[in-house]
Amino acid sequence: MSTYQYTDIKKAFNINILGKGTQPMVFAHGYGCDQNMWRFVYPYFEEKYKIVLFDYIGAGNSDISAYSKEKYNSLESYANDVLAICEHLKLKDVIFVGHSVSAMIGLLASIKKPSIFSKMILIGPSPCYINKENYVGGFDKESIDELLEALDSNYLGWSQNMAPIIMGNEDRPQLGKELSNSFCNTDPEIAKNFARVTFLSDNREDLKKVSHPCLVLQCSQDVIAPVEVGQFVASTVKNSTLKILKATGHCPNLSAPEETAEAIKDFLETNA
Amino acid sequence: MGKSNHISKQSDSIRLKAALDLYENAPCGSVIFRNDGLIVAINNTLSSWLGYRKSEIVNHRTLPSLFKIGGQIYFETHFFPLIKMQGFIQEVYFDMLRKDKSVFHALINVREIPSEGSGDATYQATILDVSDRRQYEKELLDAKRKAEADSKAKAEFLATISHEIRTPLNAILGIGNLLHNTPLNEDQKEYARLLLGSSEHLLSLVNNLLDLSKIEAKKLELEYVSFNINDLIITLKQIYSVKAAEKDVELRLELDEDIPQNIIGDPVKLNQILTNLIGNAIKFTKEGSITVVISVLKKEKKQVTLKFEVADTGIGIPEEKLEAIFQEFSQASYDVSVEYGGTGLGLTISKKLLELQGSQLHVSSKLHQGSTFSFELNYKVDKKKSKKSKQATETQTEINFDDYKVLVVDDNDVNLFITAQYLDQWHIPYITAKSGSKALSILSNEFVDIILLDLQMPKMDGYQTAEKIRALKLSQDPIIVAYSATTKGEVQTKLIEAGIDDHLPKPFQPAELFELLKMYKTLKKTKGKKRRKKLLKTATRSKKYAKQLEPETPPTSHESFSLDKYQKMANNKPEYLQKFVKSSLKAVQDYYKEFKDAIKNDDTAQLDKLIHQSTMTLYYLKADKLTALMKKCSELIAANDSASNLSTTTKECKKEFKTIIEGLKKAKKQ
Repeated sequence: MSTYQYTDIKKAFNINILGKGTQPMVFAHGYGCDQNMWRFVYPYFEEKYKIVLFDYIGAGNSDISAYSKEKYNSLESYANDVLAICEHLKLKDVIFVGHSVSAMIGLLASIKKPSIFSKMILIGPSPCYINKENYVGGFDKESIDELLEALDSNYLGWSQNMAPIIMGNEDRPQLGKELSNSFCNTDPEIAKNFARVTFLSDNREDLKKVSHPCLVLQCSQDVIAPVEVGQFVASTVKNSTLKILKATGHCPNLSAPEETAEAIKDFLETNA
Repeated sequence: MGKSNHISKQSDSIRLKAALDLYENAPCGSVIFRNDGLIVAINNTLSSWLGYRKSEIVNHRTLPSLFKIGGQIYFETHFFPLIKMQGFIQEVYFDMLRKDKSVFHALINVREIPSEGSGDATYQATILDVSDRRQYEKELLDAKRKAEADSKAKAEFLATISHEIRTPLNAILGIGNLLHNTPLNEDQKEYARLLLGSSEHLLSLVNNLLDLSKIEAKKLELEYVSFNINDLIITLKQIYSVKAAEKDVELRLELDEDIPQNIIGDPVKLNQILTNLIGNAIKFTKEGSITVVISVLKKEKKQVTLKFEVADTGIGIPEEKLEAIFQEFSQASYDVSVEYGGTGLGLTISKKLLELQGSQLHVSSKLHQGSTFSFELNYKVDKKKSKKSKQATETQTEINFDDYKVLVVDDNDVNLFITAQYLDQWHIPYITAKSGSKALSILSNEFVDIILLDLQMPKMDGYQTAEKIRALKLSQDPIIVAYSATTKGEVQTKLIEAGIDDHLPKPFQPAELFELLKMYKTLKKTKGKKRRKKLLKTATRSKKYAKQLEPETPPTSHESFSLDKYQKMANNKPEYLQKFVKSSLKAVQDYYKEFKDAIKNDDTAQLDKLIHQSTMTLYYLKADKLTALMKKCSELIAANDSASNLSTTTKECKKEFKTIIEGLKKAKKQ
């Protein structure tokens, strides 16, 4: 049973706590990556906040053995993990920063236990990736099916491809040694299941239940979460602010960390 | 000076031209793209590979837009973050789309070109055409998959065929046996003997094939039950002494006095190995003796290592053949096969059965002097049973079956006939039914003690029939013995679920059937409940374990339950463990409800049924405490014991249930 009782939650989720402040900012990575994707963003907040970084079970340096397909068959399980982390660390007044699918995971957690959270920062959120009647998700059902099929049939695996090439990089001293084998190096099975859970989810109804002030950070050109989706989120969530970034792509925290950090700072100051 | 300057300029321009030419027409594609993915340059090679004009791409298309959708998502979620993190990326495979929508298999390398000044960095990607490689990979993969499927199909075919052969073989053996017992003249007797001998040989061949196919398909599992090793060896000696005596060869047994009486392990497989080795020894020995030696190599408190040796003074094996004898269908020489017969599978199977138990088969041999086969096995010592268990050796005359009634249910006429013939010979009263529904209608009118039930029947199979019989809730529940061509281990769980008490694999020797009937006849004298309990115990003991050689912790644990067994079975796959936990939780919750019901109604039958039903689950959960408590409850109710005793035990039961349910819930949540 030991694997199922996180006797050491910190280790299971590879939790890292930084910063000089007291109010916690919990940074939750999105699909495909791990907490390292925040390394250009969180330094902007270290002075004022307590920075909490973690890897979801199955990602990065988390305890992979705690992963099971049955357990992580919905975003809710991930949301429960977020709550477990917050409870374990006794966090209160949490500013949750979620990228990509983590934005929805964070919202689900905030609906379940509103008392823990204070503000939600959603980077490239999407409640539903598939186009529905009167809703633009960005993908038609066929594309997602094709993606999932590709994931199923790709014998060599997406992520396996990545594994051997990641190595030390002397040009970039900021990349520590810990990166060498973990970043983006997900177990192909887990990547597959997570993709399924992510891209087939439809949490549009949940958006209406969100009560905390939210910042929706939307990139200008994002294949995964198009502008329409960001607008949908912002218009459905009661207490939300939409900010369209100049940055393009799906990862402004990597491609435009400064712009991303500034937008978050602005929001936190105006909503302080 | 001016001239050399000119020359150097000239060579510079030549080099530049060459470089540009190389860039455009290199054997690999090249694109330069920006932070947002927009392609700002593409070389001729790539644009022609993809079937686009350069102007259609440059400043119009992003790199990910040239990928299939999966690749696009991958680019955004994995690829691009990685480039940002480490500045380069090597050899990642993408399916690119040509202008005509056909797929181009590409291997992509990217490196970041740092910006000069404050602008954003750009990225250069080189793209290799790996269509050929992809094709080879696909072919290799297809071939691998096909080979795997073929081999699986072959194993399944072998299993099915062996299985199918066993059914008519049952008839041949049965008729042969019956024929042998009728008045025959000398010639006919010889024919019947040959018929029987050949069908027995055929049966052993089929059984061996089935075993081999199961071993190959890794379907064979080890049993882990308590057995008396002396009994096993002595029975073997009794059987083979006759054969040895026929050849004027002595069969000797040397048993170490230190051997524990009862050990825990797989008696069936040990028996099979020893049968093979002793059978071979007799086969290949013309004069002299065969010696079976069992010695204790290491003995600890709870564990013992035994060494088994089978030595003969036979023809021996030439040194160069020593390896080959373990191969399927290979005897040391063709002549051997002709002269001595045999399937040539015995040693292969023995070797594999030992490997399954983490052991090895050793052989040493001298031509014309004899061979010695030896192996070692670890067993757990069973301390609980020290008294020698009695071998059922009484003769049939000792038991009177007059007041006994057997119901035989089989859709196969021949098999029905044979069983009926045996029962006639033994003067055991019986009724027959050709289908499950027929059996049910008989049972509603008539009382029977024991039901021999064929598992494979059309419409209503044996399991369904048994379930329905149990659902009749007959005042005196009959014993149900399933008989089928399926080997025991495979169906154990299903049997218990269907409420079947025992199993007799087809084809069976008449003596086996008789022993079985005798056993249940004797048991009948004891009270119904006690009988059930005894059966339950056998069922519990013969539960199968997942392939494991580690002796397990003693069952008398003080914990309410444990997930150890599941964890072992889950083989480090948490998803399996979760599945186990989930289904056990559901089951235990149901049992709890039923338990409360049974207690409320003072219903021992319901409680006994529940104890029976929950055997498997509680066994796996190692919830021995709960099992024991429930049994105690049942006894107290039956004995009409004082209410206070019962209520204490009931309370304890409920507490155990709750602890287990809570624990499982916790395990499920995690």
